[in-house]
Amino acid sequence: MKKALALVMAGAMALSMVACGGGSTSTATSGSTAASTGTSTASSGAATEITLWTYPIGSWQKEETVNGFIAEFNKQYPDIKVNVEYLDYTNGDDKVTTAIEAKNTPDIIFEGPERLVSNWGAKGLMVDLSDLWTEEATADISKTSEAVVNACKGADGKYYEYPLCMTAHNMAINYELFKETGALQYIDEETRTWTTDNFVKALETLRDSGKVMTPAIVYCGGQGGDQGTRALVNNLYSGTYTNADHTAYTANSAENVKALELLQKLNNEKALTFDPALQASDELQMFANGTAAMTFCWNASNEATYAEQVTFTPYAMNFPTDDGKVELCGGIWGFGIFDNGDDAKIEAAKTFIKFICDDATQGPASVQATGFFPVRSSFGNVYAGTEDETRMATFQTFLPNMGDYYNVTGGWTEQRTAWWNMLQEVGNGSDVQAAADKFVETSNAAIG
Amino acid sequence: MTTSATKQPVKGPSKRSGLGISRAEARRETIAAYLFLLPFLIVFVGFVLIPMVMCLWTSFFDSTMAREDIFVGFGNYIKMFQDDIFWKALMNTALIVVVAVPTVTAFSLWVASAIYKMKAASCSFFRCIFYLPVVTGTVAVTVVWKWMFNNYYGIINYVAKGVGVIDNNVNWLGNPKTAIWCIILILFTTSIGQPIVLYVSALGNVDASLTEAAQVDGATKLQTFWKIMWPQITPTTLYILVITTINSFQCFALIQLLTSGGPNHATDTIMYYIYYQAFKLYQYGYGNAMGVILAIIIALLSALQFKVAGKGND
Amino acid sequence: MNTVTGKMTPYKVISGIILAILTVFLVFPLYWIFTGSVKTAADINTPTPQWFPTNPTLANYEKLFDNPALLWLWNTIFIAVVAMALTCITAAMAGYVLAKKKFYGRTVIFSLIVCAMALPKQVILIPLLKEMSFLGIHDTLWAVILPTVGWPFGVFLMKQFSEGIPNEMLEAARIDGAGEIRTFVQIILPMVKPGIGALAIFTFITAWNDYFMQLIMLTKNTSLTISLGIANLQAEMATDFGLIMAGAAVAAIPILAVFLMFQKYFTQGITMGAVKG
Repeated sequence: MKKALALVMAGAMALSMVACGGGSTSTATSGSTAASTGTSTASSGAATEITLWTYPIGSWQKEETVNGFIAEFNKQYPDIKVNVEYLDYTNGDDKVTTAIEAKNTPDIIFEGPERLVSNWGAKGLMVDLSDLWTEEATADISKTSEAVVNACKGADGKYYEYPLCMTAHNMAINYELFKETGALQYIDEETRTWTTDNFVKALETLRDSGKVMTPAIVYCGGQGGDQGTRALVNNLYSGTYTNADHTAYTANSAENVKALELLQKLNNEKALTFDPALQASDELQMFANGTAAMTFCWNASNEATYAEQVTFTPYAMNFPTDDGKVELCGGIWGFGIFDNGDDAKIEAAKTFIKFICDDATQGPASVQATGFFPVRSSFGNVYAGTEDETRMATFQTFLPNMGDYYNVTGGWTEQRTAWWNMLQEVGNGSDVQAAADKFVETSNAAIG
Repeated sequence: MTTSATKQPVKGPSKRSGLGISRAEARRETIAAYLFLLPFLIVFVGFVLIPMVMCLWTSFFDSTMAREDIFVGFGNYIKMFQDDIFWKALMNTALIVVVAVPTVTAFSLWVASAIYKMKAASCSFFRCIFYLPVVTGTVAVTVVWKWMFNNYYGIINYVAKGVGVIDNNVNWLGNPKTAIWCIILILFTTSIGQPIVLYVSALGNVDASLTEAAQVDGATKLQTFWKIMWPQITPTTLYILVITTINSFQCFALIQLLTSGGPNHATDTIMYYIYYQAFKLYQYGYGNAMGVILAIIIALLSALQFKVAGKGND
Repeated sequence: MNTVTGKMTPYKVISGIILAILTVFLVFPLYWIFTGSVKTAADINTPTPQWFPTNPTLANYEKLFDNPALLWLWNTIFIAVVAMALTCITAAMAGYVLAKKKFYGRTVIFSLIVCAMALPKQVILIPLLKEMSFLGIHDTLWAVILPTVGWPFGVFLMKQFSEGIPNEMLEAARIDGAGEIRTFVQIILPMVKPGIGALAIFTFITAWNDYFMQLIMLTKNTSLTISLGIANLQAEMATDFGLIMAGAAVAAIPILAVFLMFQKYFTQGITMGAVKG
């Protein structure tokens, strides 16, 4: 009898633990279960619930902004409930990766073609958005830039991204400091350009002035903001990052090696600093507080972000070139839909994207929140009449300098890591050609 | 309580019931035992054992995101041995373990021996101090060190320049020569807390009459320590060795938050490289293969420590 | 060694100095977290550090609480407490039978436990992740709690503890006719209480600090832990030490408070945990 009782008791203990586990799950995560149970109810015609994950693109990282947009959306489509999660660039990719493995992906994701198209799209995880690319939309976007249209298209000809906004990444200098040290003579204020020689002279002048801790920082502590270092290297002697049809990396070309050698020499002469402990965000901070005299990671959105912090004029500049033909890296941001196999949700997601990107009043507002420029030429100047008008007008002048959008090359993820590792080696005094060769070998191997 | 380090390890007595229990009793015992084990076994099998087997299984496949796995046999293991970065990561991991484990153990023993005879208040004050970084949390400790090591406005450069140790700012985390030592240093501060507490108590439990007797016999302090005290604190030492080794092998947050394995892979560890392969490049099979190797290394090392340290014990 | 209040020997002076240096070395980061969290950005980003915050500000905390920092804290506490409770219960039961009962499969189970202990938890994360999604609990706090509870260290510890229970006591209980449950609750549990205390503290700290597991398992902004929250604050475009220090302070304060309150039990517990080695 006692034995039997013992068994029952032990069993009950085990059960109660399991039960207790199950019971509190629902309380601890009531917020999340709502989202996941939505799957089953979505197709029944009742309210559809979709999830949007957004990377920090301008004000799209601010809850009040995004909630405002969703409220607008719900005025027209009260049946679609949109949940939002905010990603950051440090852990955001890991989160998407785990979500993919856990089959827990959001419906909509807001980022650029290098992730949406060449990464997740190429893996067959994304929904073909060709029906969003109406003739009207395609024509409108092509008018701004054919490159944008191509960037959103996968190798299989399907569109995995529907773009909202774009920018050309540039650099910036501390205007007052340049003036004070006499380095201002090396830039062309009219066109905001400078030659490679003048860039070197400016760095030396700044260094010799002793008024700044380091004239410039080549950050290579991680992949964030690497478009800046890529553009810097490519422009110095007009190298290219990949070949024209995006099938091979060309960072070990004679032009690029020459550029890297120049940077290495400048590093040795303390005219700039290779810093493997810093990422782009750190470098921006250094620029904003006057530790460095320039930043290689600038754009309209960053200028807005740091406007309050800086006590000087951050003066946007093109990257220095030897031939006067600047090729800036473009940034394109837009929406993609993860294929979760639920047509109702996909439809709802498309409706949302259409509203956010194409609606006559919402579209420009969506763009404005990013702090970048519309991909649709019909939107015209979305900053007209706002306090940002002059600032944005300045950045608008950089758009025509946008170069090839090579971010859709295969092996992009591997390449990004290899790039900052190569910069670290160059900064550490290693042989430039060897380091660049190794970079190209690793990256090309990853193209697959 | 009755359990105490000074008592002999109980081994023999548990065999008592091993002799001649009846079949029925054995069955009864087995059923009861499994019922007691059940809650643990469910979670253990479900969330440790099954993933372990899956890990081993996947290590023989080329497994990546959104594609069927391809069987590659020992392909991942062969690739690993040809992968320079893997070897570098292995060497870095070894360096961390080889430096951190003896340092932490020796240092905590020294600190403990310096404070265990102090007045209760000061002893507990020091224990508390040394334990602070452990409870503060790895991430919180790591981010503050990141700031302190900062090249431009880190306090370490400021102080080191102030006292003349260095002439120019040193980019501690950005220099391949210094970065790994910074990691070890931070690991050190977060690792010594527990061993110190353990040693203080182990030393306090050493039979005072034995040490006094030895000193009366004319043994030097050092001799007393090695002959009398050391054998008695060996179990504690063993425990400390094992936990410190495992901790050092698993050091991850430090790397991810401070250096991402850089510069020039100078701080890549196996743990970080597994994470990188799996979560950045989606090379699950390859990542798992490295996990298997790492597990084997740790298991061998733990076994070795038990063996070596266990010798003096029996 | 020496008598308690001996004269000043050179050795004592040197060891005093080293202890003092070490103390500064370990306490300073904490000081720097708390002072940093009330400094302005300008005061932080200066090559000449400010030893004391001259213009204290709560701006960093305001910015921090724009994020659901309290929810993160609550999530962390929930994970740590539940993992601690479940680990203690399961491990006490399992440890007891592994130490004191003869049954078929004992050696196998114990060997598995010892092997699994050597395995770094992180290597099983990818399979674990797939499993969690299969069970539908990925991105819930349980995805972090369950693997922590399944970790065999606790059982190992409790087995070592239970071995110290004199067999005579079990024998006596059996003669008295006590059932298994009663024996466990009335005899075993009181005997291994210090062990449970040790395990509780150990598990609590481990779960609190298990950054990697949290990183992989938790995604949603509302299911983050405070550690993840701080790490996320280091967003790509704005490294803001003041804000991060505020986060670190908020993460550290509760556990420091618990530690300082229960310091005695902590040290006792940790010590008990290793008695057997």
